[in-house]
This record gives sequence, C-alpha cells and structure tokens, in this order.
Amino acid sequence: MASDDRVCVGAIAGAFGVRGEVRLKSFCADPEAIADYAPLWSEDGARSFDVTLTRAIANGLAARLSGVTTKEQADALKGARLFAGRDRLPALGDDEFYHADLIGMVVLDTGGTVLGKVQAVLNHGAGDLLEVNAPGLKDTVLLPFTRASVPTVDLATRRIIADPPEGLFDGLFDGG
Amino acid sequence: MGRSVWKGPFVDAYVLKKAEKSRESGRNEVIKIWSRRSTILPQFVGLTFGVYNGKKHVTVNVSEDMIGQKFGEYSPTRTYYGHAADKKAKRK
Repeated sequence: MASDDRVCVGAIAGAFGVRGEVRLKSFCADPEAIADYAPLWSEDGARSFDVTLTRAIANGLAARLSGVTTKEQADALKGARLFAGRDRLPALGDDEFYHADLIGMVVLDTGGTVLGKVQAVLNHGAGDLLEVNAPGLKDTVLLPFTRASVPTVDLATRRIIADPPEGLFDGLFDGG
Repeated sequence: MGRSVWKGPFVDAYVLKKAEKSRESGRNEVIKIWSRRSTILPQFVGLTFGVYNGKKHVTVNVSEDMIGQKFGEYSPTRTYYGHAADKKAKRK
C-alpha cells in the first residue's frame, strides 16, 4: 500500500502485562474507533495487524494484535506507529473533510495567487480554522474554514481557493 | 463571585468602536483586537475578530452561541497539534 493512501491512527507504547497484549495509543477522535480501521499497517507497510481491544487503561488502550503472542514480541513493537488504509475511514457528509486530506493542500486566492500551504487544522471552539503557512510571512495565518472564506476545496488537484477576509494576509504582498 | 448585573457586560470601548465601524462599512475584514477580557455582545455576531494570544491574532468568527463568553476563550495561548488521524473538519 502506498504511503499516501495511509493515515497514522495510533502508536504502540509497549507491552501490557505478560501475555502478549500491547499498550495502544489511539490518535482517533473516538479512541476506540481504531479497532474499526483494522488491518493496521506498520510504517514501512511490511506488517499488518488485526486489533482486538481488551480494555481501557491509563493513557491508552490495552489490545491484542494478530501475530503478537508474547511480551517479548509486544516489547519489540514499542514506539511503532500504526497506519490505517485511507479507504477504511468512513465516508463523509457534505462539506466535511478529513484533516489528513486538508493538510498539505495549496491555498490560492480567487485571482490564482498562491497564499501558502495548509499546515494544520485547528478548532478553538469558534469553528474550524486552517493554519496556512505563507512563505512571505513570519507567522502562520488562521483562515476560517467557512463557505465564505473557503469557497472551493478541490481534493483531486489538492488545491483550496480562498477568499480571505481583508487584513488576514497583511504583509504578504507588500514585502512585510 | 459573578459580576453585578446592574453594571452590564464589560467590553473595552475600542472594541465596540471598531466593531461598529466594521459593521457600518460592510466590509469582510478581520477586526484586530487585544482585549481578551471583553464580553462577546449580540451586535458582534457575524463579524470576524482577530484576538491576540500573545503571539498572533487568532481568527474568531462570532456566532450566536458565543454571546456572553469572553474573546480570550476562543484564542488559546498554547497550541497542541496532535495527530490528524480520522479527525474531521466541517465547512460552515
């Protein structure tokens, strides 16, 4: 599986107990959803695991991975990141996007000028924000992820057309 | 203890002035403010503020359910990025 088709959904924090269970850190919005995305792949794509969650523990989940039956095998996986196939993630509704898809997209204004690249997607309680890394600016810019400010999101060409509010990209075109 | 009702909500005067000016102009602009302590009033709904967090202005689109909160609540001073994983963003 190509690395572009995979999304990092968790990591193994070490062994849990002496019977081959692992301590799993889930990065999913709902931590237990990580089991739904199985099989999970290692970073190099060489190994895949089926996941059975056994219980919630401090700082994570205890889980059994297929092919891991002893504590030594579980310990050997400590620090390994787990990836799910992009196609395993559930379908989205209208105007919904996965952060993983948005990150890295090129942001252009309505005139076709490149404003920057999406570095992260944040939400501080007042709606989603795209953190845009504009090459001409010292700091990143937070673009509201609304239909007014972001009229077009083209996943196929990985481009976002933005109509940012005045003053948001101050300094980008005046050399400051 | 909460603030006395007779005083009304606290808002820095310059925030009111800037918001009023922006509303009158009808332009789609970010109103840069430094007053994290100001209360969000009903007349701010629909406006976009840039609330300073000590480093930069965090964009805050004011909606109805934010009335009565303080601007600073929507502009965190520390940022944790975490992993994208299966997290979703909805365009409103």
